[in-house]
Amino acid sequence: MTQGKEQLYQDRLKRYVIAMRNGKPDRIPIRPFVAEFTAKYAGYTCQEITHDYTKAFAAVRKCAADFDWDAVVANMVYVWTGLTQTIGLKYYAIPGVTIEADVGFQYLEPAEDQAFMKPDEYDELISDPTGFLFNVWLPRVAVDVQDMGKPSTYRNNLSFLKGGMAMLNYFNSFGEQNRRLQEETQTVSAIAGILKAPLDILGDKLRGYIGLCMDLLERPEKVRRACEALMPHLLHVALSGADPDKNVPITIWMHRGCVPFISHEHFENIYWATLKPIVEEIWRQGYQVLFYAEGNWDHHLHSFAELPEKSIIYHVDQGDIFETHKVLGDKFCISGGIPNYLLSYGTPDEVRRQCKAVIDVVAGDGGYIMDASAIIQNDAKVENVRALTEFIREYGVY
Amino acid sequence: MEQKPKPKPGVCVGWEEKLKELPEIKGDEKLLQKIWQDNESLAYMYIWHCLVSF
Repeated sequence: MTQGKEQLYQDRLKRYVIAMRNGKPDRIPIRPFVAEFTAKYAGYTCQEITHDYTKAFAAVRKCAADFDWDAVVANMVYVWTGLTQTIGLKYYAIPGVTIEADVGFQYLEPAEDQAFMKPDEYDELISDPTGFLFNVWLPRVAVDVQDMGKPSTYRNNLSFLKGGMAMLNYFNSFGEQNRRLQEETQTVSAIAGILKAPLDILGDKLRGYIGLCMDLLERPEKVRRACEALMPHLLHVALSGADPDKNVPITIWMHRGCVPFISHEHFENIYWATLKPIVEEIWRQGYQVLFYAEGNWDHHLHSFAELPEKSIIYHVDQGDIFETHKVLGDKFCISGGIPNYLLSYGTPDEVRRQCKAVIDVVAGDGGYIMDASAIIQNDAKVENVRALTEFIREYGVY
Repeated sequence: MEQKPKPKPGVCVGWEEKLKELPEIKGDEKLLQKIWQDNESLAYMYIWHCLVSF
């Protein structure tokens, strides 16, 4: 990389990091979480980028080169369905297989009576979460994995062998993707490491949302103890993928742990009580967490304000970004706030107006990163994403 | 029934459990332990990423 390119990369990294630490960089960083939009822009179908991650990577690099953003996610269509199909995971609708080829992949939640964990299995999960996942959960979620005690099969063995090797290949390929983003387009890889809240994991992948709600009423103590049992493992997973340079954040993808999906009481006593210590420990070890608050978490802003200053970046999806700024803006960087419907159905002028409205209130003293509200999929118009980018380049200079 | 210790994060089958299955170690036990644990962490990450990431 030439000196000029290296300098450009360092300038972008510095801009991004200063903003994430709630500081005022030279201008507002642009860090759009572009997912299936990359396929639309680069000329691929959703099936191509979801099932062939080399195409997903290429599409991200093309967008990074053409839009000149500060930071992007190396592959925001993170669920590589080539891997999930190899393992045999049942809970994805794969583009080009069970849904149309140019539709984003879908998560299929099983019916309540088909939940991947039964209501009487909490003690088993609590006593050994890893053993439970291998021995009970995986045979239920993977078509070829046999139940414990049943004869093994050729396809059972292949699920583990192919799945393990494919996952390793996939994870290892991110190093090369990040290097190419840095060297070819001088773009920062925006995040590293994944976190989910214990209660979200229980709802998403084990009990299902309806089952979890019933458990919160019928056996709340078991739910709390299960969340506590998951905590050290979710912390370990998050830290294992973190940025060794401690520049970019671990991301928590927040799903259904907020009002009205659950009650205030369950949020405080279970969701937040078992997530907050994880975030505090991550911060103690020197990493920030990006709260990707999918949906509307406005009821809980005062709880998030309990966290140490600068420990998180708070991303606003359908919440009120102005209220969020009032409650959290003194302590944390904020990102997002440009509604996805505007990128899909609005005009470039409407996008520019919304960007201005957000910047004028939220970004005055720094501590703001430009992004859409949610991941940008293939419904977004190219001209609107371009309008967002160009407007911030002009208007976002401090 | 013998109660197995609860595996820690990063571990599926602990080194202590594996060590009991081996004859007396003639060489470098630390080396064996390190490589065992390195490979353990791969199996651990496999199942936890199936849960958390995929």
